[in-house]
Amino acid sequence: MTKIIATLKTKEKNLELLKYIDAVIIGIDGYSINLPFNYNVDEIEEAISFFNLHNKEVFVFLNKNFRNDELDDLKYILNRLDNLNINGIVYYDIAIVNLKEKLGLNIELIWGQEHMTTNSYTINYWYEYGVKYTLISSEITLDEVLEIKNNTNSKLIVQLFGYIPMFNSLRHVVKNYKRQFKLIDESKINYIEKEDKIYPIIDNKDGTVVYSSNIINAIEESMIMNENNIDYILLNSFNIEAEKFIEVCKLFKNVDKNNVSEYNIRIKEMFNNTDKGFLYKETIYKVKE
Amino acid sequence: MKEIVIKKPELLAPAGDLERLKIALLYGADAVYIGGSVFGLRANAANFTLKEIKKGVTYAHSLGKKVYVTVNIVLHNKEAKELLDYLKALDKIGVDAIIVSDPAIIKVAKDNTNLEIHLSTQQSTLNYEAVEFWKKQGVSRIVLARETTKKEIEDIINKVDIEIETFIHGAMCSSISGRCVLSNFLTARDSNRGGCSQVCRWDFKLLSENLKPIEGEKDFTFCTKDLSMLTHIKEMIDMGISSFKIEGRMRSIYYIATVVGVYRKAIDKYYNSNENYEYNEKYEKMLRECANRDSVPQFFNNINDETCQYYNGRMEVSNQDFLGVVLEYDDELKLATIEQRNYFKKGDLVEFFGPNNDIIEYQIDKILDIDNNLIDVVRHPRQIVKIKIDKKLYKNDMMKKLK
Repeated sequence: MTKIIATLKTKEKNLELLKYIDAVIIGIDGYSINLPFNYNVDEIEEAISFFNLHNKEVFVFLNKNFRNDELDDLKYILNRLDNLNINGIVYYDIAIVNLKEKLGLNIELIWGQEHMTTNSYTINYWYEYGVKYTLISSEITLDEVLEIKNNTNSKLIVQLFGYIPMFNSLRHVVKNYKRQFKLIDESKINYIEKEDKIYPIIDNKDGTVVYSSNIINAIEESMIMNENNIDYILLNSFNIEAEKFIEVCKLFKNVDKNNVSEYNIRIKEMFNNTDKGFLYKETIYKVKE
Repeated sequence: MKEIVIKKPELLAPAGDLERLKIALLYGADAVYIGGSVFGLRANAANFTLKEIKKGVTYAHSLGKKVYVTVNIVLHNKEAKELLDYLKALDKIGVDAIIVSDPAIIKVAKDNTNLEIHLSTQQSTLNYEAVEFWKKQGVSRIVLARETTKKEIEDIINKVDIEIETFIHGAMCSSISGRCVLSNFLTARDSNRGGCSQVCRWDFKLLSENLKPIEGEKDFTFCTKDLSMLTHIKEMIDMGISSFKIEGRMRSIYYIATVVGVYRKAIDKYYNSNENYEYNEKYEKMLRECANRDSVPQFFNNINDETCQYYNGRMEVSNQDFLGVVLEYDDELKLATIEQRNYFKKGDLVEFFGPNNDIIEYQIDKILDIDNNLIDVVRHPRQIVKIKIDKKLYKNDMMKKLK
């Protein structure tokens, strides 16, 4: 049975949400990017205990690129997480793989180099290295996801709902623009517009992230994931109203072949910008031969 | 801490085809990096067939120089099937290294070939723990993330005994390399498989959280200025960086000749006589003129503010300064045979530069066409003409407009 993982919108202990999900992804301030919110370091133990109490699996995003002078803090948090009851750490920076070995940690790792997790060969490379989970790229097709599943023992996590991060930079491109042209704007989230599409963009202390214009809604495909033993589907709450997100989780939890069309329509009615991402759209890369 | 022996760094240049490969090596590159027809990150560059790679390697090795081949795409399952044969072919040809970002390719190469492996900047390696990991995987060189600062590079070199390569010149990704799929979403072209359509150079409207326009004098863009490390070459050599990389496999021969030539001279001048080394502003001017874009040192100095952004629109002005290439020089008649690349005429002030000469300034006087008739203007693309000039020129010297 495919499990549902959700990212959290706030630190609020929301029991209603927990009814419809099996696992959460949490972030820690200073270590995690691309999440709707992060706990601070002092809050994580209590948060993890809460999810443990309700028998929810907990995955922690430590997915930023770390600089040399952040490595001591990284070692500290890895050691601390190693003693907590979590299911794994999602990493981007390879320093984490090296540190796990050097520090002798038992913690599970999830390969989460978001746009690079595109084939079973590399997934198996990491699997042989002890990395037993993969957060699959959102830029591959459904067929590719299923082919990967058939060729690896790694547990797979596939995002099927929500905005998709598509650009990360250590630059502060929004802040720079405002400073260059002396613009006053205190927005916590901005948008960029091109050809009638708008893209959420967030510039904070960790740099800049841009999200997709559309929300991926693959509730229909969630059943294919289930049939093919995909281990987890990920529902991302970024920029989604809390109540609507809970409703989405509920629909994904209860979907079956009898109600899937109706549920799909309900999600489309809630959001006017849904699509199927790249599940049926192959990207071109060789424009001329 | 290991002892750092300062070696002369390798000057590594891009080459989109055989002509550019030869120019880069003639102008002083110690090595070039090229893309094959598959598995590279510049799918729209001309790129090299295996036969052309062989020619390029033979030519480079005849000069005692090296060729690295980019195999730095992020694999999808269907491409992986051709990988082994391709790597074996590169090994047989004798390429000096492959540049890789996907660790599955590292494994295939290590298990089946003797290829040396460099880790691509697409892995955005920013710290010494990651460098140490890749070293254990058998990688012999790391191309560091473009965001590394001087202090970070120094610390990495001090802590891990491995060759470090950094960029010294050319265009920059606005994103962390590998962490951008704007191209996939906005143009359906896969940036991590060579299809990047440079969406980061587009203009956008910036909106507030209430979707109200926030308008500056220019539109919002991610676009950054280019990188130029000429002012820091001395420090970079002293730091013990193994290889200085120039970006731009799709750039012209004029660009490659200029940039490689300038850095070659700067490196040689400091390395050969560091007591007397002086920064040469003339070189900076040459770099500026050939790119037509502003350039700054960026993250090296830990600066990534608005002074690094580029708000002057996406299109660079096509470079009209490049006037021609010298094909040969007749010592007795003092005649240079030139292949035209941009319009020029009698009376124009020009500069010649090349690996064997300092810059020669000259006012064009007599121009002969292919039948030795005097002409006043050279307006046809690739037109062959002869110019009377007393100072000796060499094959492959470049002629540019004097500004």
